[in-house]
Formats: sequence, C-alpha cells, structure tokens
Amino acid sequence: MSIKRSLTKVHVIAGFFVAMLALVAFSSPVQAQDIPSDEASIAAGKSLFGANCAQCHKLDQKYTGPALRGVTGRRELPWIKSFIKNSSKLIATDADAKALFQEYGGTVMPPHEFLADEEIMQLLAYIENGDKGGDKADADGAATDGGAAQSGDSSMPSEYLTVILVVLVVVLLLILIVLGLIISVLTKFLNDKKDLDEDEKEYINQKTDLKKVFKSEGFILIVTAIVVALIAKTAIDGLYSIGIQQGYAPAQPIAFSHQLHAGQYGIDCQYCHTGVEIGKSANIPSANICMNCHQHIKNVGGAEGFSPEIKKIYDAVENNEPIEWVRIHNLPDLAYFNHSQHVKVGGVECQTCHGQIQEMEVVAQHSPLTMGWCIDCHRTTDVNTAGNAYYDNLVKLHGDGNAMKVADIGGLECAKCHY
Amino acid sequence: MNIGNMRSITKYTLLLSTLGLAALTSCSADGDNPGVEYAPQMYHSIAYEPLSQTRDKEAGKWLSNREDGLGEFYNSNDNNPHGMNMREPAPNTVQRTANGYLPYRIPMDSLEYAARVVKSPIEPTEQVLAEGMKLYTSYCAPCHGDAGDGNGSVGQVIGGVANFKGGAYINITEGHIFHVITQGKGRMGAHGSQITPENRWKIVHYVKQLQTK
Repeated sequence: MSIKRSLTKVHVIAGFFVAMLALVAFSSPVQAQDIPSDEASIAAGKSLFGANCAQCHKLDQKYTGPALRGVTGRRELPWIKSFIKNSSKLIATDADAKALFQEYGGTVMPPHEFLADEEIMQLLAYIENGDKGGDKADADGAATDGGAAQSGDSSMPSEYLTVILVVLVVVLLLILIVLGLIISVLTKFLNDKKDLDEDEKEYINQKTDLKKVFKSEGFILIVTAIVVALIAKTAIDGLYSIGIQQGYAPAQPIAFSHQLHAGQYGIDCQYCHTGVEIGKSANIPSANICMNCHQHIKNVGGAEGFSPEIKKIYDAVENNEPIEWVRIHNLPDLAYFNHSQHVKVGGVECQTCHGQIQEMEVVAQHSPLTMGWCIDCHRTTDVNTAGNAYYDNLVKLHGDGNAMKVADIGGLECAKCHY
Repeated sequence: MNIGNMRSITKYTLLLSTLGLAALTSCSADGDNPGVEYAPQMYHSIAYEPLSQTRDKEAGKWLSNREDGLGEFYNSNDNNPHGMNMREPAPNTVQRTANGYLPYRIPMDSLEYAARVVKSPIEPTEQVLAEGMKLYTSYCAPCHGDAGDGNGSVGQVIGGVANFKGGAYINITEGHIFHVITQGKGRMGAHGSQITPENRWKIVHYVKQLQTK
C-alpha cells in the first residue's frame, strides 16, 4: 500500500514538473517548434551565418555584437526578424533595441532586407542548434596553428652545431683524463721496478716546469704575435666602423613592434609607410593611420584594459602633438636617395636593404649604407626591362644576350647621387 | 739595448694600444649609440630636412661656424608648431594633381548620396585591375582578407569587418566603395589620407571584380 502511494506521489510530482517545464517553454518568447532543427536547415543557416553574420557575431562569445545562441529565448520572433532586416528602424522605435545598440558602442548593424523569412529561420536554426562548442574549437585550432608556425621558424642547424660542439669538448676532456691516468699508472709501474739507474729515475719523475715554459723565447714570441694580431684586427675593425651606423637600434618613444604588426599580422609595409612608392621618403605614419586599427585595439594580445604604449597614440591625437620617433637610417647629407625610384621603378623589396624587419622587435639598421654597399648592388642587380618597350631595343643593341645591370644605365655615375 | 728598457717600452705600447682599443670599440653603433661620425658636418643637413629634427640648439656647437651662433647640428623650424620641419598645407587651399583630381568633399554621413552620384573616372582595364589587386593586398587584405570575405588576420582582432560577398554588400555601387575607403564607415577608419584618389578607384574596380568570384 505504502509503496503504491508513494509511487503515485512521485508520479504527481513528476507530472507537476513536466507541466511547469511545458509552461516555461510555452511562455518563452519563441516557441521551440518554430525553429527548425533538421540538419539541412542548420547547414543552410551555417553558410548564411558565415556570409553575413560571422564578421560581427559569434555563437557563444561576445564579439563586435552580442553572442547569439539563446537569442530566441530572449526576444520575440518578430522582434528578431525586424532587427535582422533593418536594425536602425527598430532602434528608432523600440527601447530594448536602443539599449542594445548603445551597449555595443553604437555600431550600426547593416540592414539585411535581402534575407527571406525562411532564410532567417534557417539562420536561427543554426544559431540555436549548430556547432555547439564550435567557437572554442576554432580558437584552439587557430592557437595551435600559430604555435606550430612559430616553432617551425627556429633554425635547426645552429642547434645541431652547438650539440656537436658540446659532445666534442666532452670527448676531448675524457681523452685528456684517460691520458693522465695512463701517465700516472706508467710512472707508478716504472718506479716499482728495481733495476733503474738515477738518470732514468729522474727522467721518469720529472715535473713540468711552468715558469721555464713561460720564459722560453718561443712562447713569448707566439703570445706576442697573437696579441699584436688581435689588437691590429680590433683596431682596423674599429676604424672601419667610424661613420657607419649599422646595428644602431635606438629606443623609440613608443615600444612599437614590427614583429607583431608586419610579422604576425602580416600588414604590408606600404599600409603605414605610404610615401615609399610616391616620394623620396617612405614616411613615418601619422597617428590617424595607427588609429585605423587602434581605435578598436587598446591592449596587446586581447588583454583587458588600456596598454600604456597604445595610450601614447591616443594622447598624441588628443593633444595634436607629433610623436617624435628617433630616425635610424641617416644617410649623409651629401648623398641623395629616393625610395620611389628603388621600390616603385626598380621593384626592390624593402627587406633587401632593411633586413628582416618583420622579425624585429626593435628595428636596427641592417645595412651599412656605405657607398661601396650601394655600388655593389648597382653592379650586380639586373634591370627589369620586361614590359617596357623603351628598353627592348636598348637591350638588343647593347647587351650580348645578358640583362643590363643598373651600372649600365648610369648606376655608377657620381652625379646620380651626389650633387 | 738592455732588457729593462725594452720591457718598459713594451709596457707603454701595451697600455697605449689598450686605451686606443677601448676608444675604438665605442666608435661602432649599437643600441642607443649611433657611433662616431666621420666629418659630422657632412652628415647633418643645414637645410630643413623632413623626417629628421634636432631641437637642441647647442648640438654640435663645438664645430659650429654658423652665422646665427647656433650648434652645427640644430635642424628645426621654430616658425612651425613643435618646431617641425614639415608643414601642413595652408588652410583652404586645394592640391593640384597631375590628373586633375579635386579633394573629395562629400561628408562621411552622406554615404547614400555618394553611392548614387560618385562615378569612377577610370576604366577597369586589365592593368588597372592588376594594380588594384596589389593595392588591395596592401591596404585592405589585412582586415577584409585576400578573398574579400572579411576574415583577414587583423580583421579577426578588430571584428565587424564587412564580407564583400555577403548579401548586405554584394550589390554596393562603386561610389559606395570609394566613399567608404575615403571617409570610413562603422568600425573602419578613413583611408583617404593614405591612398591617392586614383589608387582608390583602382581598388574599387578590383573589389567589384572580387565580388563576382
């Protein structure tokens, strides 16, 4: 009896919960059965989402716009539809929409009036049912990709070289120890022999006299020669480095990393150095160019808060003050150099003269910028005359089948650079 | 010559050469030290030099023979704000360019008007499209991606980057694209100062081509 009674009780309670659940489900803004959950709809929704929404929205994470999963639980279906189709219209009339618009920094969502009702339902199907945990998997994938790419960069040969050197040193030390042991064993063995005369005994037990070695003429001669050679080499190297700023890597007012911007994010040099194809100087970007991205990026590596280095750009813009970068490449005033002539006309890569800038945390002067360095390049670089009809005849008449070098078209004339 | 004498000579030579070496090693550039300049007067421009500025009036006074009594290396224009050697264009003047482009004056919020009225002065020839692709790769691809689908490496950090092939953008006019490049829109900054009008049109033609792919 009592078992039966308690069973009915359980049934009643369970029934109550089912009823409650149903009530909750039915009272939520969108009825669950409205949203299709078949695979075909989800797949169609996914491609729509990728083409139209993914730039600003993620399913489970806040991005430029809010995380979308669960939106059908938060809003009525007509509200969602009119927001997707033309958010500006809804924002003008609806308080909820206006609050949401302001919460996300007043970024306008473009109208999507081209989406049919059916397509919006497919979108919602994907938003509610698709790729559960997908965002995270994507992020993880990207992270491991980046890691792999970075570890791939490390140079293996130099590591091998160090290992080989260490092994060699260890082996040599072992040989030395073994030799020492052999000597001591042999000395002991000979000393134990009875039939040795005095001379032989003295020979066996002789000690190496270090003082004598140091004072020997041969030793002094060798040491002096080495010291003089070293001094001469350092002196000549030092003299040659006068007037050459190769390796100059001054601290800049903002700790800007080319490795991050040009390397990791692959931003082209020209994006910031806009003068390189049209003028003498490549130009240092003005703060408004920094702000194209940094109005949104306020800290490094997605961290919260305001990086003090990035804040310096904001200060410069607010106070209308230039950022006083330290010039690294100082060509003497007596030589003329034009960037556009080399980059636009000659098609020379930035890295040819500036080194692997995209790997530099702090930029250092890569090339010596001496006249010999310029001339060397002018002597060995082929002029790219392809597609320039002016040169066709010139190459035919003057060249013996070989491409013309820069030197052949006046690359060594004094007045090209000195005037 | 006796040995003592020779010893002292060796000692002095060694001392002198060590001192000399110490002096020489500080000649080469490293870190914040630009190294020793040979004939510094040949390095430092007397005329105003863009992108380099020395505001210290005493710099290089030890070899100066300037008439104004300032240091030899002083290179800064006191007539300009912050002593800059470059000047901003005079207000209310118009830059004259070889192709006759006048400054773009349609304000940022008049996108719909610009989309209707602004028309390209250049034809999308093969060469224009090739140059457009190069420019697109430099100026647009970091955010909008090589294929124009809005997933460039920088774009993923910034977020909210337009997918040119998405329904909201597939039918935009050339005037719309030109206006947005010049003045910016939404989260995108104005790129008018970085890209010449002619190059902007090349990019526009390339983007229109990209949308059909």
